[in-house]
Amino acid sequence: MADEAALRALLLKGLAGEEAAHRAFLTEAAALLRAYFRNRLRGRAEDAEDLVQETLVALHTRRDSYDPNYPLTAWLYAIARYRLIDFLRRAKHRDHAGLDGHDFGEPDPEYDAADAKHDIKVLLDKLPEKQRTAIRMVKLEERSVRETADATGLSESDIKISIHRGLKTLMRLMAGEQAT
Amino acid sequence: MNTNDLIDALARGAGPAERPHWRRKLAITLATGLVVAVALVAIWLGVRPDIGAARMPIMWKAIFSAAAAAVVLPLTVQLMRPGRPLGWRIGAVVLFVALCALATWIALMGEMPERRWEAWMGGSMPWCVVLIPLLAAPAAVLLTLLMRAFAPTRLTLAGAAIGALSGGVGAMAYAMYCPVDSVAFVTTWYALGIAVSAALGAVVVSRFLRW
Repeated sequence: MADEAALRALLLKGLAGEEAAHRAFLTEAAALLRAYFRNRLRGRAEDAEDLVQETLVALHTRRDSYDPNYPLTAWLYAIARYRLIDFLRRAKHRDHAGLDGHDFGEPDPEYDAADAKHDIKVLLDKLPEKQRTAIRMVKLEERSVRETADATGLSESDIKISIHRGLKTLMRLMAGEQAT
Repeated sequence: MNTNDLIDALARGAGPAERPHWRRKLAITLATGLVVAVALVAIWLGVRPDIGAARMPIMWKAIFSAAAAAVVLPLTVQLMRPGRPLGWRIGAVVLFVALCALATWIALMGEMPERRWEAWMGGSMPWCVVLIPLLAAPAAVLLTLLMRAFAPTRLTLAGAAIGALSGGVGAMAYAMYCPVDSVAFVTTWYALGIAVSAALGAVVVSRFLRW
């Protein structure tokens, strides 16, 4: 796993627009997050993976809240911790037993990427049409922002804003789904 | 969905991040909150009639309120973003409260004993404890909207900071109406009005900061 300096360099390059660096940052962050959530939700690997994905979307959509003058891991874990507390609060709301009723098994030693319970393609249908179309075309069908703008008749900045807003809503939907 | 697919989707076409311009946004937010609060005072409470003669007391009360806002500002800025240390910024707030208490005591000791009660209470009920939080509301709403665009992770503290900061803004506007100019009155009841705003912020605003 990458250390603070390497991870920070990746995020800063990603902020400047290097897609490959941003992908590498998210991949490294996912490994850290998986370890973090699995340690705290022992025996609940699926919940942990839900939280990993939710937090990745949060890191991505809120990446402009990172200030290079401060440690990156503090930023990353503050967001992870916030997502975890939010999750536990919802779980408590759901059943008053909270974590007490769960089986605290051994932490899963395999920290591989896994499937989460939610299906993002299904959640997408809950978004407003413009956001849904923008995310589907750029993020899932691998078309460029330019192409998407031409195909939909919207401006490029409109597409970018729709994606950003849509992803923020998507993160809330991912969180909300666990609560039901 | 597999996490690796999600990462691919997030990174695809991500482009450079927008610069958040938070300084400018914060300045505009605070200025707007102040203008709305001043307008509320002018329309609803009415500016004190002796505003010409009372320019100096109004000025110092507004400066006191602005100082209170300035003391809370660094804390608010830190709480807008995740994982930022608070350190001395909490200390600054504590120091300011201590200075208010000290100033109150010195000012009251300087009065004749039989006048102390009036100097402290302003001759009637200190309405500013209620009115300052009301005048803080516009700034608080705007600051909440601004902070939602960032990523606060300590919501109760962030709500309290928003409440105190907008309390300072509300108190600046309130100074135009407030007819009491005694030092002990201001350092007690203005500070308490701002503290009430902070408490309301911790309870109410924090709920709206969830993301």
